Amino acid sequence: MTQPSAVAVLLSDLFPLVWSGLITGCLYALGAMGLVMIFKCSKVVNFSHGNVAGLAAFLVYGLSSGVLLQLSWGMAVGVTLVAIVAVAVLTYALIAPLVFASDLTATIATLGIGLIAQGVTLLVFGADIVALDLPVPPFRATVLGLRITGYDLTVLAVALVTIGALFFVIDHTKLGIAFRAMSDNPFAAEVCGLSLKAVHIFAWTVAAVLGVVGALLIVPTTFLSVTTVAVFMLQAFAAAVVGGFTSLPGALIGGVLIGVLMNLFTYYVSPEYSSTFLLCIILVALNIFPNGVLAAAGGGSRV
Amino acid sequence: MTDLFAIRDLSVTYGAGAPAVERVSFTVGAREVVALLGANGAGKSSIMKALAGLVPASGELLFEGEPVSALSTRQRVARGIVYVPEGRAIVGSLTVRENLILGGYQVHAARRRERMAMVLELFPEIASKVERAAWRLSGGEQQMLAIGRGLMAGPKLLLLDEPSLGLAPLLVRRVFDRLAGIRADGDLAIILVEQNLQMTMRLADGIHFLRSGRIVGHRHRDDLRTGAARQEVIDAYLGAASHHAA
Ligand SMILES: Nc1ncnc2c1ncn2[C@@H]1O[C@H](COP(=O)(O)OP(=O)(O)OP(=O)(O)O)[C@@H](O)[C@H]1O
Ligand SMILES: [Mg+2]
Repeated sequence: MTQPSAVAVLLSDLFPLVWSGLITGCLYALGAMGLVMIFKCSKVVNFSHGNVAGLAAFLVYGLSSGVLLQLSWGMAVGVTLVAIVAVAVLTYALIAPLVFASDLTATIATLGIGLIAQGVTLLVFGADIVALDLPVPPFRATVLGLRITGYDLTVLAVALVTIGALFFVIDHTKLGIAFRAMSDNPFAAEVCGLSLKAVHIFAWTVAAVLGVVGALLIVPTTFLSVTTVAVFMLQAFAAAVVGGFTSLPGALIGGVLIGVLMNLFTYYVSPEYSSTFLLCIILVALNIFPNGVLAAAGGGSRV
Repeated sequence: MTDLFAIRDLSVTYGAGAPAVERVSFTVGAREVVALLGANGAGKSSIMKALAGLVPASGELLFEGEPVSALSTRQRVARGIVYVPEGRAIVGSLTVRENLILGGYQVHAARRRERMAMVLELFPEIASKVERAAWRLSGGEQQMLAIGRGLMAGPKLLLLDEPSLGLAPLLVRRVFDRLAGIRADGDLAIILVEQNLQMTMRLADGIHFLRSGRIVGHRHRDDLRTGAARQEVIDAYLGAASHHAA
């Protein structure tokens, strides 16, 4: 009786898989919430989200590794955030005339902007794979058979603080009321004297910051190439779809679901077919709960 | 006395078609209530939206002696020109309180709290439901919320577009009672769009009649004292809409 039962093996694998899925899921959620914020107020699916966040990750790499400059990691992130917020505002300025004319044209224009961001990344940093680390506290602990690292805790803490702050702003501040009003009834918002552009820019800026945070936290788990973050955003996109694309809590739950499901699939079924699996999740989600998991669960959501 | 608002040759054209509003001119004095009456499609809402800066228009608009036609809606709200749209356009997913905050968005926080207390006192119907999602209010309550939201901005001129639309007669009376109250103790001018002549008569100092985007007649309140006089303007100006106005 030294042989552990099949169930025990399954479970001993299961917990770590779910845990690490939860961690990556938080990051998908950050990406997804950015997509949802932009979609809710501008009615645009921002296909440049991944490539712009990818450019940001490369900027941090370039600014801290000596390729461009030799700054501290924190300084590099600070400069990058400023640059990416500028890119977000510029992107919005470019497509704003389109947003007010046609949502579809604006959405297609974001594809173009994504390609430009990718082109700039290639031009400046080349097609090579680089390593970008995250300065996390060197921590390791085993709790109930679960190995928990400093990286895990950093991601959880950053995600919780970021998402918590976002929900607080949207639920409890004047700006949040403006954002929700814009999403629900832009005409009413305009009648009340809100600047539609200012609210849009708020959403695009927050989304860009969420994207950068997500990208910087995901890259240490792999390596950084021109497509790394774009692929990551594909999962974020799936998370947004699972959440119904118009719900921020939905995007959060969608992110965690995608993170855990992808992890389980990759481990138990096949890592090769994970993209196929992702597309299946998107299709199933669109068919079974087109308005998102939260709507399907009967919980309406204000944000 | 200078007018609060002078509108000269206001025209609104959507797309390539014939103008929806054509060279409309009238004035609104301080604390005056001016009504625009006309059938469906006469161009009443188009005038209101043009005055609020919500649709492109040509013509000259002088508010307190200053041109405002180049200003955005946001800037006009800040000056005190506030539109209460037809169909109410409240934000259903926001609470009553949040809708009111939205109305006073540009107002200083302390001033906004003051106004909110004032509005809730004026409309006790919604005061007990401030934390309720606005879509859960009845039609009459939603209309009161829409008017209250307009008052939150601290308007000098309120553009009221069909406050009676879709309301049962009893509710219409209640809404107009409130409006009469606001009128009596506020330093507020109103442009009122209505299809309901009788309610309009209670409030308005003067009435302009609109047909196909043009002003085709004007009466002072005193000219409409008798039933015969009212029937005469209905026949002359409102035609098919008379059943609304009767
Ligand atoms: N956004 C728009 N685009 C094109 N045409 C419009 C638009 N809004 C109004 N119109 C047209 O302009 C004319 C005037 O419309 P408006 O809404 O101003 O009328 P109204 O007097 O307010 O009517 P109602 O009593 O039905 O509210 C109508 O012929 C209408 O079809
Ligand atoms: Mg109208």
